Amino acid sequence: MIGVRSLEKEYHVGDHVVRALRGVTLDIAAGEFVTVVGPSGSGKSTFMHILGCLDRPTRGQYLLGGRDVSTLPHDELARVRNETIGFVFQGFNLLARTTALENVELPLLYTRQGAVKATERRDRARRALAAVGLTDREEHHPNQLSGGQQQRVAIARALVNQPSLLLADEPTGNLDTTTSYEVMEVFAQLRAERGLTIVVITHERDIAAWGTRTIDFKDGVVVQDLQHQPTMGTRAAAGV
Amino acid sequence: MASPLQRLRALHPSIDIGFKALTRNRLQTGLTMLGITVGVATVLAMMAVGAGAQQSIEQQVRAAGLNQLTIKAGNWKPKTEDVGGSVAHQGDAEDTMRLPVDELMPELPQAGDPFYGADVRPIRLHPEDDPMEKHDHPLAWQRLGDLEAGLGASATLSFDDAEAIRELEGVQYVACGVHGNARVHYASPAGEKRWFTRMHGTDLHLLDIKRTWTLRTGRFFTEDEQEEKAQVMVLGSVVAEKVFGVGVDPVGQEIAMWNQTFRIVGVVTSASWVVRPAAGDDEFDAVYMPYTTTHRLLNLTKLNDITVTAASTGEVSVVAKRLEALLRQRHGITVEMPDDFTIVTEATRAITTGGLPPNVAAAIAGNVKELERVTLEQLAGTLERASGTMRWLLAAVAAVSLLVGGIGIMNITLLSVTERTKEIGLRMAVGARGRDVTRQFLTEAVAISLAGGAVGVVLGLIASYLISSMLNWATLVSPSSVLVAFGVSAAVGVLFGWYPARRAAELDPIDALRHE
Repeated sequence: MIGVRSLEKEYHVGDHVVRALRGVTLDIAAGEFVTVVGPSGSGKSTFMHILGCLDRPTRGQYLLGGRDVSTLPHDELARVRNETIGFVFQGFNLLARTTALENVELPLLYTRQGAVKATERRDRARRALAAVGLTDREEHHPNQLSGGQQQRVAIARALVNQPSLLLADEPTGNLDTTTSYEVMEVFAQLRAERGLTIVVITHERDIAAWGTRTIDFKDGVVVQDLQHQPTMGTRAAAGV
Repeated sequence: MASPLQRLRALHPSIDIGFKALTRNRLQTGLTMLGITVGVATVLAMMAVGAGAQQSIEQQVRAAGLNQLTIKAGNWKPKTEDVGGSVAHQGDAEDTMRLPVDELMPELPQAGDPFYGADVRPIRLHPEDDPMEKHDHPLAWQRLGDLEAGLGASATLSFDDAEAIRELEGVQYVACGVHGNARVHYASPAGEKRWFTRMHGTDLHLLDIKRTWTLRTGRFFTEDEQEEKAQVMVLGSVVAEKVFGVGVDPVGQEIAMWNQTFRIVGVVTSASWVVRPAAGDDEFDAVYMPYTTTHRLLNLTKLNDITVTAASTGEVSVVAKRLEALLRQRHGITVEMPDDFTIVTEATRAITTGGLPPNVAAAIAGNVKELERVTLEQLAGTLERASGTMRWLLAAVAAVSLLVGGIGIMNITLLSVTERTKEIGLRMAVGARGRDVTRQFLTEAVAISLAGGAVGVVLGLIASYLISSMLNWATLVSPSSVLVAFGVSAAVGVLFGWYPARRAAELDPIDALRHE
């Protein structure tokens, strides 16, 4: 599913060159539930941005589904983001004064065939909301929803265009432990039901325990890469 | 379940984006719209003034009688004129005859002149009646008859001619006329008032023909009065004012002419601001009575002229041809003989007697050979100049307010981009391309400017109405000018929304997502 080869990323900050990634090589197979951990500045966010096609590597190769996307032009990257990747953010990033349903519809406005027809958008958004258990919250605005519910709306939004890769950047960073676990439970369930490849960035070790593999970043390189059985989310893991 | 508004918003994502933009920062949006509103309103008012000016010149010129033909008794065509061309003529028989004979022919033969012999009768010869000259019209003595009444020199047209013309194809209205000069007397309580003026014996269809006329008070005479040869009179407004005073309604009063008493039934004046009633003009410094009454009182039987309007302005020359053929046949004129009448279209009269602004007259004259092809756009120049100042003023106001409105739109769109940087990042993350983001913010900018424009159109309509009712300017709001006004507001939105929209599109998605 994912293959990165000698991935490097440099930023210019004034006269300094910050080397955020210093040669990362790894593969992620379809259906893996990967958690990426590491301290601030370890390069895990940069890695995430490149995986999400939000950024391009300075050097190295990124193969997504067998296709080299590291040198694609902006519009092509936008297409890849729209069709193959779903994003979940720490701050939820829902549009205020917009219903949950409309938030979920958002990616469907940018499909390559042009905006999906209104009725179809509605249907697909409903199904995505149902998948995260929010059927009864369709017409709620973000400020009428709890943090956990908001994040589930965000997950529904990430799912609505049926991506094969789900990227989550600190998805539980703004949530308490109980709701964090609820959200992680949703991820585990999606992976079990749909075979989604999931990459979650976190700095909390207990969240990392939900995955099947933990990649440890430090100073722009991978220092540890462990396959393991998910120690949490047994209910979902039982289905695997 | 869904309101019409919701359904409209569901129709297209852009519509939804537009509505959201309008409701986001209501106060700022409203203030921004104000500039566009004023701009569009003035643009619309400007076009309304321009179109109004154009329309009124069209009406004025048409009303001045481009479709009007006058058949005069006698033929004063210069011999050099080719018979086919129907319009350009020199002078007018009546005018010539009103001049002192001595001035025209100082060497007129007198009684007892040795060259002509003692039996030469001193007659008032027409200057063209020089016996040494070849001519193609009846001699003055052949044309005598109604001359004594001062009604012109020839009498070849009859009421039966007028009736026959009425049946002719392409003819709209027909009015017959007998004309002269006369003095009216009015015995007012303050003493006798006199006024020397034009006298027109005419028929009741004249009012249909003279589209620039309006009755200030009273009425025109009726068919019954015409048949009874009643002594009723319609005064031109100049006569009414000179004899009765300004603001006095003379209807019902009695006035004397030729020692006869006439009852005044109405006062006519000009409805056109191109033609203003003035002392000495032929229309409003004049009195009107049924031609039958003139015939009875002066013991006349013929007509000086017959006025005809063509049903269509484009048919004037066709109608002229038909009239010529009809009258030649009725008057028994053989092929080699010249006409005993002259057909004059109204435009030539307008040029020779004034009543039109000089430049309009010049424009007509420049096209006089094929008058009906005169494009009215060519004539619009006159009024355009008249309304030019007004329109320049409005254009300046429109330009300034559209500029201010545009800057406002740029400002509010930049504000919106800054406020929603994070949203832009998110949209990019879920697949929006640069152009999608550009389109979104352009849509917002255009939505604001169009909403401002819509209010502006309403204000512009009100402004146009006020301009015409308070300033007496003719205004015309055409559907196309409303479209143009909308187009202008949309253009302002695109123009001033472009920069902020491009800025939004060029944001880096990662930075945008991190933006707080």
